[in-house]
Amino acid sequence: MRPEHWLFTIPLRLRSLFRRAQVDQELDDELRDHLERKTEEYMAQGLTQGEARRRAQLDLGGVEQTKEKCRDARRVNWIQDLIQDLRFALRMLRKSPGFTSVVVLTLALGIGANTAIFSVIDGVLLTPLPYKNPQQLVAMKPNDALMNLIDVERQAQTFSQGGAINVDEVDYTSGAQPVQVRAGSVNAGFLETLGVAPMLGRIISPDEDVKGARRVVDVSYSFWQNFLDGDPHALGKTLRLGGYDYTLIGVMPADFVLPREHADIFVSLQVADPGAASQRGVHFMHSYWRLKPGATLAQAQAEMLAVDRRLSEQYPDTERDRGETLVALREMVTGNVRPALLILFGAVGFVLLIACANFAGLLVARAASRRQEMVIRTALGAEKFRLIRQALTESVVLSLTGGLAGLLLARWGTALLLSLKPAALARFSSISIDVRVLAFVLGISLLTGIVFGIAPAWCMARADFAQSMKEGGRTATAGRSGHLLRSVLVTAEFALALILLVGSGLLLKTFSRLRSVNPGFNPQNITTIYMQLPLTRYKEIPRQTQFRRQLLAGLNSLPGVKAAMITDIPFGGNYVGHAVVIDGRPPLPVGSEPDAQTVSVMGDYFHVMQIPVRAGRIFTEMDREGQPLVVVVNEQFVKQFFPHENPLGARIDWARSDPPRKWMTIVGVVSDVRHLDLSQPQDPAVYTPFSQSHEVWRHFMTLAIRSSRPTGDLAADVKREVWNIDRQIPVSLVQSMDERMADSLAQQRFNMWLLGLFAALALILAAIGIYGLMSYAVSQRTHEIGIRVAIGAQRRDVLGLVVAEGTKLALFGIVVGVVFALILTRFMTSLLFEVAPTDPLTFFGVALLLALTGLLACYIPARRAMRVDPMVALRYE
Amino acid sequence: MLLLKILALGPMNGFAVSQRLKQVSGDVLQMSDGSLYPALHKLEQEGWITAEWKTSEYGRRAKYYSLTRLGRRQLEKETDNWSRLSSAISRVIKLKEA
Repeated sequence: MRPEHWLFTIPLRLRSLFRRAQVDQELDDELRDHLERKTEEYMAQGLTQGEARRRAQLDLGGVEQTKEKCRDARRVNWIQDLIQDLRFALRMLRKSPGFTSVVVLTLALGIGANTAIFSVIDGVLLTPLPYKNPQQLVAMKPNDALMNLIDVERQAQTFSQGGAINVDEVDYTSGAQPVQVRAGSVNAGFLETLGVAPMLGRIISPDEDVKGARRVVDVSYSFWQNFLDGDPHALGKTLRLGGYDYTLIGVMPADFVLPREHADIFVSLQVADPGAASQRGVHFMHSYWRLKPGATLAQAQAEMLAVDRRLSEQYPDTERDRGETLVALREMVTGNVRPALLILFGAVGFVLLIACANFAGLLVARAASRRQEMVIRTALGAEKFRLIRQALTESVVLSLTGGLAGLLLARWGTALLLSLKPAALARFSSISIDVRVLAFVLGISLLTGIVFGIAPAWCMARADFAQSMKEGGRTATAGRSGHLLRSVLVTAEFALALILLVGSGLLLKTFSRLRSVNPGFNPQNITTIYMQLPLTRYKEIPRQTQFRRQLLAGLNSLPGVKAAMITDIPFGGNYVGHAVVIDGRPPLPVGSEPDAQTVSVMGDYFHVMQIPVRAGRIFTEMDREGQPLVVVVNEQFVKQFFPHENPLGARIDWARSDPPRKWMTIVGVVSDVRHLDLSQPQDPAVYTPFSQSHEVWRHFMTLAIRSSRPTGDLAADVKREVWNIDRQIPVSLVQSMDERMADSLAQQRFNMWLLGLFAALALILAAIGIYGLMSYAVSQRTHEIGIRVAIGAQRRDVLGLVVAEGTKLALFGIVVGVVFALILTRFMTSLLFEVAPTDPLTFFGVALLLALTGLLACYIPARRAMRVDPMVALRYE
Repeated sequence: MLLLKILALGPMNGFAVSQRLKQVSGDVLQMSDGSLYPALHKLEQEGWITAEWKTSEYGRRAKYYSLTRLGRRQLEKETDNWSRLSSAISRVIKLKEA
């Protein structure tokens, strides 16, 4: 339209918007004037005054309707209507606080639960990783040796850069007390590949990443805060790490996190551990690569295959079975939690659907009871469209209020979620309610209000004279269509609730299965303490052995304490595997020897841990340096390598140890333990005495102490004993075995609690839904029930009538739910342990629970129906 | 268009418009009073006619509508359109079988 045009129209619009009363008054006057003239005209034609007036009104076709049409002509009417509708909606909702609070609470639960889960998903799956151009980053699995990674970088054309890291404990002894910090051994490319700039100073340069270079270190923000007091002039300071002096050259920014783990400091692997850096066979570094612009993951993977082939031909003894795969970094970081989160999101979506079904059900019920009002409104000139709009305004006001309450619930719920400490979520600090989450709440609330408000609104607005005449007296049953809609909704609620209950039932069973798995040892009253000996002062095995022996002797002299030690404790998250050769067997091709988990122990480890001995003997004081080499193996080892023979007396050696062969004799068999977590059986394992070890690099150990004394108390004693021998060794990583095992189940516990919570919500909402429907039906049918009782129906019959109707709906919902659950639970397989996704017991139990809930929810209104007094009922109207 | 044309004759109130419409079209075009007023209000909101309250010859206050400059232009446009359309239609109707 032309601007000139607006000159005229805008003041008109504004006038109709802000001088509404006056405009309406004018409209009134105008029409009255018209009627008067028309009446006069008819009277002039000889009609009586009354007749003339009636004719005039007929000609106009209803004064109020005409007025409404004229108002519509004003164009800005929708704004006024909206304000009017909003006012009216708020007034209506205030007038029925019961209805309003039930609806708002229902929606708040549904929307709140969704928002909480969404904010986690938002933080974990949607927020970009905090690196430069994160979509270019890929991770390589499994780990690899630095030497191989250098070859990969040299040969591959699709990567612009690559870097690797291994995180390990190291002693930091420049502070007030020696402590263990997590040290990232990296190559120069690592921090550069991630594209994170240091906050202070610089990162390790390529010429500082060669053997024998000056020792320099970058530290994390938290290390800088905790140990250097956030001193901005700390650069250039000397930090003593693992017995060596390092010069501080940089501090990383506060928001810098590694893709997988946590590290306090970063040093060059070439400088810190040249031995490990030059070893090809030991694959211990995580590596990350940046794709060149335009290069795809598939191209890189194809290239990787070629590189792997060349490497395995070149180094058959260690690199025979190479099979490195590349995954997008995001995939690697979120891969573990994604299925669980998506399932939870699906589940919480179902909860919302149930809440919405309740919402819609309540609206339909309300629509039915407001039919009279609607009829009057129609008579007064309201158009159907306007009625629907008004009903929608009410439902949107409700859903937005619910959304607002849900947001509060979500804030609280998110905090609760994170306090369950799912390990996989621990590193995502960005989980909070941000703009995206707010948009989600707004969107979902509006959608709920509109989508689930439209059917009830339609029901409400369809009221016409004829129908209201038929139903107006409310003598018969309730409006058929409204009731049918509500029945469908209740059925759907039961179906959805069943799906959720089955899901949570399966997880519950998984969890209890896991809990009842025998770890192979007795975790009660075991305290574990990790520590390591600085290689500067403990370069030789005898020095290490002397420390260990002295420490164990000291600890075991404490009253009520039995202590032993092992390189890698179960549920410690680590283990080392070595290829094994067996004496007297035909030699296998180099590189294809079987692998076994290898651990060293000292002290009465098997008794302390209460690991049952299956055959032979365990180590004694006599199995020490200078004595014949002995090993103890686990049952899995026997099962795989000596299926039909007696393993006792057989001799084994490490395939990669330096020649000549130093055969070790198997003297005992102990039962398997769960090493990494409860769901995975242990690999074949070989235990050796610490004192017969040749591996200086395994300078770490975990104490296993059985004592009924509290962990903290014990730790103080251990600290004293350790510092009696060496004041520079930190004793900071103390954890009870129960804690370690509980942590290993954290993710499962998280899944179980959450899905369980949602299922409980679903159950309650479905029960409220069917209760609401049946109560309403009973109140609508009071009259009918009264007649039935009056003509001789027994109370039992009445009870049966109501309960049967409700149960029919519930059962139908359950059947539908079972069908869908059978389809959907397949997606949960990755979350289950020793439970089939179609576990019949779970399905049956859940169906029974739901049926009983439905029955109970119907019973209450049914009892009310039973007590209907026919006299009262017949006078009811 | 009809309303605009009628109002082009001079300002008049709603009642007069309805009378005049009946009169000139010889009862062929009947517009119910119920539709007349919404139509007038629509035209007013478009800015094609304007309204003012005047005291009529019998001492009654009434709302008088009159054509605006914009309305006059709109009327010309619509009249043009209409004559083009109607002449086209009448040419078609007058076609004889060749």
